[in-house]
Amino acid sequence: MTTKANFPVTAGSIVVPYGHVIGNEKWRGSEIAQRLQGKIRLIFEDGLGLVDFHLSNRTCILYISEADLVAGDEFKRRLVRFRNARSLGGIVIVERTQISDQYFLAVQKLVVLELGMVLLPVANQGEASQLITQLVREQSKDHNSNPFLRKQCSQLAEPSLFRTVQQIPGVGKTKALLLLQQFGSIHRLCNASVKELELVVGQTVAQQIYSFLCS
Amino acid sequence: AALFSRDPLEIKPSLCILVDSREISSGAEVISSLKAVHGVKVQVCSLSSSDYVVSNRMAVERKLQSELLNSVNRNKVTQRIQRLQSMFERICVIVEKDRIKTGETSRFFQRTQYYDSVLSALVQAGVRILFSSCQEETASLLKDLALVEQRKNAAICVPTEVEGRKREALNFYLSIPNLGYLAALNMCHYFGSVKKMANSFPFVSYSSPLDIATGAQVSPQKAEEIYRYLHYGFDVQMLPENLGAKGRSNAAARS
Repeated sequence: MTTKANFPVTAGSIVVPYGHVIGNEKWRGSEIAQRLQGKIRLIFEDGLGLVDFHLSNRTCILYISEADLVAGDEFKRRLVRFRNARSLGGIVIVERTQISDQYFLAVQKLVVLELGMVLLPVANQGEASQLITQLVREQSKDHNSNPFLRKQCSQLAEPSLFRTVQQIPGVGKTKALLLLQQFGSIHRLCNASVKELELVVGQTVAQQIYSFLCS
Repeated sequence: AALFSRDPLEIKPSLCILVDSREISSGAEVISSLKAVHGVKVQVCSLSSSDYVVSNRMAVERKLQSELLNSVNRNKVTQRIQRLQSMFERICVIVEKDRIKTGETSRFFQRTQYYDSVLSALVQAGVRILFSSCQEETASLLKDLALVEQRKNAAICVPTEVEGRKREALNFYLSIPNLGYLAALNMCHYFGSVKKMANSFPFVSYSSPLDIATGAQVSPQKAEEIYRYLHYGFDVQMLPENLGAKGRSNAAARS
């Protein structure tokens, strides 16, 4: 599927109903379309321009086939035009086959490193349909269920502080605890005088701590 | 003509990439290729959180394709990425094809639904993904990433080897929660002493000549987080028993 150079870049955002995918009319009857049927609700629309599938109001897919890659640089112009025209997140799905493999690294460099878009390789339209299904599922899920987004539950600072103070040369568990109980915070510990330190850990170590913190 | 074709502006300091020490055994060719083919300065250190650090803000995790094909490694992978999310502004995962073992002609890659769901979740979480077919290619991708980061003024510029007092200070900074190796290293070179660091403000201000965001080369949010940690009031009751049990009883005995 090659895109004609004069294909318009569609303006305005497309409203994608929840759980649906809007596909470019040109994909009607394709293997991807057939395999997506029954898994997700696919609606075809005219005039999507450069975009092949809209997954949501924010994300869309541009498909680069083996034929596109072999045919030359037309697909690059298409990607650049998309990037310049859209604020939408673009996911580029590229057919990486034995024939198109030689082009893959250059395409990846362009898409990910230069255009800052997402690139996912598939072997054929069958794999593409499976991937699109998962992308749609992920999109429609609650944000909190994404394991890579989940914030670590805020941990208590105490164990960390205990560890930090033990990084001071000459300070082990016992002295670390005494110092923390006496001074309360790293900031206050750092501003303690040798005299104040001596009261807690003794002369030699007090000197050692002071020189570590202040020089 | 070749003599004059080089633009003086193009001569940039050589690229530097930090490599976790565990990669010496699992990614030997990545390291040798970075050095020999790409002329990158490679510093091996115990990063523990990520496999590579290519700039002030970007960590790179190298994963074999087979590790992402089924849920056997699910916990390990998600924990690593979650940890990186809390430490670095940008994360990239390089998915590398498994090496063909001797005797095998080629490895058949059976794409799974789980694999697609992991990729989808990574995309959704804003994690960059790059694909590589071998260790040499991974090295080349790492160099490309470091170059892009250099263009965006985020390159690793400080000396990566530290000794003596500086090494001790580095270990001290590394114990600050969710602080990346490079942020700690930057602090180590920027602040003349730990005390100066502790007395600095999160951002540039009139009341303090030094600030954490500049010193560590981190985002304002991260600088604020570090500042809060330095000023956090320790409460012994909140220390888990198993950590301070011995120390606590000693401390009680003395007081």
